[in-house]
Amino acid sequence: MNAALVTMRGIHKAFGGVAALDGAELDLNAGEVLGLLGHNGAGKSTLVKVLCGAYPAEAGEIRLDGAPVEIRNPRDARRLGIETIHQTLALADNLDAVANIFLGREIVKWGGALDIAAMEHAGRQVLARLNPHFTNYHVPVGSLSGGQRQVVAIARAIQFQARVLIMDEPTAALGPAETAMVGQLIRRLQSEGMGLIIVSHDLHDVFALCGRLTVMKNGRPVGHVRTEDVTQDEVLGMIIAGRMP
Amino acid sequence: MIVGKRLLGQAALGTILAGGAAFGQGARRLTVGVSWSNFQEERWRTDEAAIRATLTRAGAQYLSADAQANNTKQLADIEGLLTRGIGALIVLAQDARAIQPAIRRAQAEGIPVVGYDRLIEVGGVFYLTFDNIEVGRMQAREVLKLKPRGNYVLIKGSSADPNADFLAAGQREVLKPAIDAGAVRIVAEQYTDGWRPEVAQRNMEQILTAQNNNVDAVLAANDGTAGGAIAALAAQGLAGRVPVSGQDADHAALNRIALGTQTVSVWKDSRVLGARAAEIAVALAGGAAAAQVPGSAKWRSPGGVELDSILLTPVPIIRDNLGLVVEASWITRERLCRGVAAAEAPAACRG
Amino acid sequence: MKAGLLRTLGIDPRLAALVATLGVIWLGLHALTDGAFLTPRNLWNLAAQTAVVGIMACGMVLVIVTRRIDLSVGSIAGCVGMVIAVLQVEMFAPGTWWNPWFTLAIGLAVGTAFGAAQGALNAVLGIPAFVVTLAGLLIFRGIAWLITSGRTVAPMDPTFQLLGGGFEGSIGGPASWAVGLVGVAALTGLRLAARRRQQGFGFTTRPLWAEAVTILLMAGFILGFVAVMNSYTRPRTDIVQGISIPVLVLIGVACALEWLARTRRFGRYVYAIGGNPEAARLAGVPSTRIIIGVFALMGFLAGLAGAVATARLNAGANSTGELAELSVIAAAVIGGTSLAGGSGTVVGAVLGALIMQSLDNGMVLLGLPSALRNVIIGVVLIVAVWADAVWRKRSGKAAEA
Repeated sequence: MNAALVTMRGIHKAFGGVAALDGAELDLNAGEVLGLLGHNGAGKSTLVKVLCGAYPAEAGEIRLDGAPVEIRNPRDARRLGIETIHQTLALADNLDAVANIFLGREIVKWGGALDIAAMEHAGRQVLARLNPHFTNYHVPVGSLSGGQRQVVAIARAIQFQARVLIMDEPTAALGPAETAMVGQLIRRLQSEGMGLIIVSHDLHDVFALCGRLTVMKNGRPVGHVRTEDVTQDEVLGMIIAGRMP
Repeated sequence: MIVGKRLLGQAALGTILAGGAAFGQGARRLTVGVSWSNFQEERWRTDEAAIRATLTRAGAQYLSADAQANNTKQLADIEGLLTRGIGALIVLAQDARAIQPAIRRAQAEGIPVVGYDRLIEVGGVFYLTFDNIEVGRMQAREVLKLKPRGNYVLIKGSSADPNADFLAAGQREVLKPAIDAGAVRIVAEQYTDGWRPEVAQRNMEQILTAQNNNVDAVLAANDGTAGGAIAALAAQGLAGRVPVSGQDADHAALNRIALGTQTVSVWKDSRVLGARAAEIAVALAGGAAAAQVPGSAKWRSPGGVELDSILLTPVPIIRDNLGLVVEASWITRERLCRGVAAAEAPAACRG
Repeated sequence: MKAGLLRTLGIDPRLAALVATLGVIWLGLHALTDGAFLTPRNLWNLAAQTAVVGIMACGMVLVIVTRRIDLSVGSIAGCVGMVIAVLQVEMFAPGTWWNPWFTLAIGLAVGTAFGAAQGALNAVLGIPAFVVTLAGLLIFRGIAWLITSGRTVAPMDPTFQLLGGGFEGSIGGPASWAVGLVGVAALTGLRLAARRRQQGFGFTTRPLWAEAVTILLMAGFILGFVAVMNSYTRPRTDIVQGISIPVLVLIGVACALEWLARTRRFGRYVYAIGGNPEAARLAGVPSTRIIIGVFALMGFLAGLAGAVATARLNAGANSTGELAELSVIAAAVIGGTSLAGGSGTVVGAVLGALIMQSLDNGMVLLGLPSALRNVIIGVVLIVAVWADAVWRKRSGKAAEA
C-alpha cells in the first residue's frame, strides 16, 4: 500500500501551560480532499499551523511520503511543498499582488537584485488562471476587495508546485459566486494529484468538497470517517459530544 | 588682580577651616549639597573639582545632583538634597525664576543658599559669580580695539539663561558711545538655542548671507558659540579677518586665539569660583552672617532684590597674555600651540 | 485629470505635492527676504545645512516603515563625532594621510555597532524599539560626554574638514557637471532598461512621449541643481564651488537607500514587515536579521551624519546632534512616512528635511527669533501630516471605487 502523502502522529503543542494539541493525528492521501472539523478551540487551526511551520511541534512525528520530516518554520514547510491559505490570508496590505505572491521567494537576477518584470510576468499568469478579469496589479492589496484578496492568496499558494495545500476557513468571508469558484479550484487541484486539507466549520461546504473527514476535540482526534459513510448530524455529534457514530 | 584675590581667599580659608573644624568636632560632619543645572555642559567639571577639593580640606562632605537642564528635576533634586541633611546648599540654577520655590524651601529649613554663577533673585541668597556684565564689557572692549568702526553681529547665548542677557547688556554698554557716534552698527543678533555650537554656526551662516559678508566683528557669548561662528566665517574665508569674542577659556578657544581666528576669551577661573563657593557655604553653615564673609558686598539685582554677593573679576585672555593660562596650569603649552606656525606664533608659543 | 496625468507619467503624486510645497515655500521666502533666499550662495548653504538631518532621515524611513522608531540617532551622531575627534586630534598623529580615513572608519564602525546592538535588543529580546532607543539616547549621549569629560576637541584634520563642506569642501564645476550627467544618464538608462524588460514580457508600456517628458523633467531638476551649485563661487575668488561634499554624501546615501528599498529583497522585506509582520513571518521572511540590519544601517548613517556635523563645525563637541532625532523623524513624516508603518519613501524624507531646513534658513534670514521659528516649524509639521492623512483617505476610497 502506498504511504500516505502526509502522516501526523502524536502531535503535542501547548501555549502557556494549556495543551492546544494533545496527541493529535492526521492522514492525508494524494488526490484527496480532507476536511478537518471541530468546535472552537478543538485544535484544528493549531494542527495545520504545525504542519505549515507557523508553530513548531513540541512532540510528535510528521511524515511526508512515509519519510519523517522536520518542520521548524514556514520555510521548511514551503520547501517540502506544503502551501497554506491562512484564515486571515496573511497578505502584506502595503505590497501589491505580485509582491505578495512572491514574498519570501522572490525571483532574483544576477547580483541579487529583484527581477521585478519576471515576477510580474509569472504573477499575471497565475492570477489570470484564477480570475481572467483581475487587473489591479500595482495597487496595494489592502485596497482590494475581499474576493480579490482571496485570489491573491490562492495564487500565492498554487504558484510554487505545491503537493499539499492547506485552506483554513476558505469560504468564511466569501459570497456564493466566489465560493463556487473556490470549489472548482479545489476539484481541479485534487485531480492534479494535490492533497488538500480544508479546515472549516461550515458542514455544508465540507460535505460538498471533502472525501474524508477528521474530527478533533480538545486537541486530540475523535475519529476519521469517509464523507459518504456519515450524515451531517452524526458528524455534528462527533464535533460536539466527541461521540463516534 | 588674581594674585591679590588669591591671598584674600587664603586668609578667608584659614578662618573658615578653623570654623569648619570646630563644626566637625562635636556635631555630625557637614555635608554641602550642590544642585547642578546641566552637568553635561563643558565647563562645570572644573568647578566641581575645585568645590570638592576645598570641602575636603575643610573636612566637609560633597553631595550633588544633576538636573540635566530640566527645571522640574532641579526642584526634585534640591528637595532630595535637603532630605539627606545637607548643612548648606550651592545652586547653579537652570531657570532663575522656576528655582525660587525650592530656594524658599531650603531657607525655610534654615539652610543657607549660595547662588552659583547664575542669578537667583531671592532675598537671603548669597550670590557668587563672576561679574557677567563685566565679561560682556571685556568682550566688547577687546573687539572694539581691533575694529573701532563697522558692522557688529551679536551671537548671544540661550534665551532661557539670564547670563546671556547680562553679557549682551555689558557688550552694548561698551559699544554705546561708538554706536551713538555712528561708528558702529549692530546689524544682526540671534539667541543660540541651548548655547549649541551647531546652532550658532547655522545662524552665523544666515547672517553672513543676509549681510552679504559685510560683517566686521562678531561678539559671541561663549567659546562654544564662538567656535560655531568661526566655522561659518571660515566657510566664507573670513576667519582671522573678523574679530570674534568668547568666554570660558576652552582649550579649543585658547588654541584659536593662538592661531589668530579668535580674538579674546574671557577667563573665569572656575577653580577660584568653585573654591570660594565651598568656602562661603562652609562659613554660612557654621553660623557666620553673610555680611561677615570676606569680600562680600550688597548688590542690587535687576529685579530690585538686594543680595549679599561677591562678584569676582574675570580676565580677558588675548593673544598677548596667553602666557597667563599656561602659567596657571589651566592648559599645557603643547595643547595651546598645536598647529601654530612658528612664523605667526604669539609670545606664549615662542621659545 | 491631474491625477491621471501624473499616473501616466509615472510620477508619485505625493512626491509631486512635496516638490510643489517646496516650491511655494521657496518663492514665498524669496519674496519675504527681498530676493536673498533664492541666491546661489544661500541655496548652496541650504543644501549643506540639510545634509546632516537628510542623511539620517533616509535611514529613519526604513526604521519607521517597520513600525519602529529610533530616538537615539542624535546621540549616536554626537558620540561618533566625539570618538572621531578624540582619535583624530589626540590619539593618532594629526596630519598623516591615513588619519582622517582611519578615524572615520572607526567612527562608522562604532555607530553601526551601536545600531546593531539596539536592533538585537529589539528583535531578539523583544524589547520595544521606543524603549531601547530611548535608553540609547541617554547612554550614547552620556558616553559622548565621558570621552573627554565634556571638553570640546578641535581643530580637526584638514582633509577631514572637507567632509563638512566649507571653504574648500566642494568638488568644483567640472566634477559637478560630471555628477549631474552621470545622474541623468543613470536615470535614463534605468528607465529604458525597465521599459525594454517590460516589452520583452509583453506588458503595455507607458507611451513614449510620457517617458520623454518624465526623463526631461528629472534631467531638468538634476541639471538645474548642478547649475545652481556651480553658480556659487568661492568668496572673493572666481573659483566655482560646485556641489559641496556633505551634499554629495547626502545624494549618495539617498541613492543607495532608494536602490536598497526598491531593488533588493532586504528593502521589500522591510516593507513587508511593516505592512504585516505576521504575514512576513509566515512567508519565511528572516525578520530578526532584517530588523537588526535596519537598525545597524541607521546607526551607520547616524555616525556618518555625526562625522559630517563634526567636520562642518571643525570641532568635536559633545552637544553635537542634540535633539536631531526630532528633526529627523519630522523630516521622514513630512516626507510621507506613516508612523503606523508600511509606507514611506527615501526621496520623500529628503524633501521633508529640505522643507524644514528651508523654513529655518529663511526665517533666520528674516531675523526671526528662535522661539518663533520653533512654533512655525511645529505648525508646519502638523499641517503636513494632516494633509498626508487626508490624501491617504481620499486615495484609499478612490481605489475601492
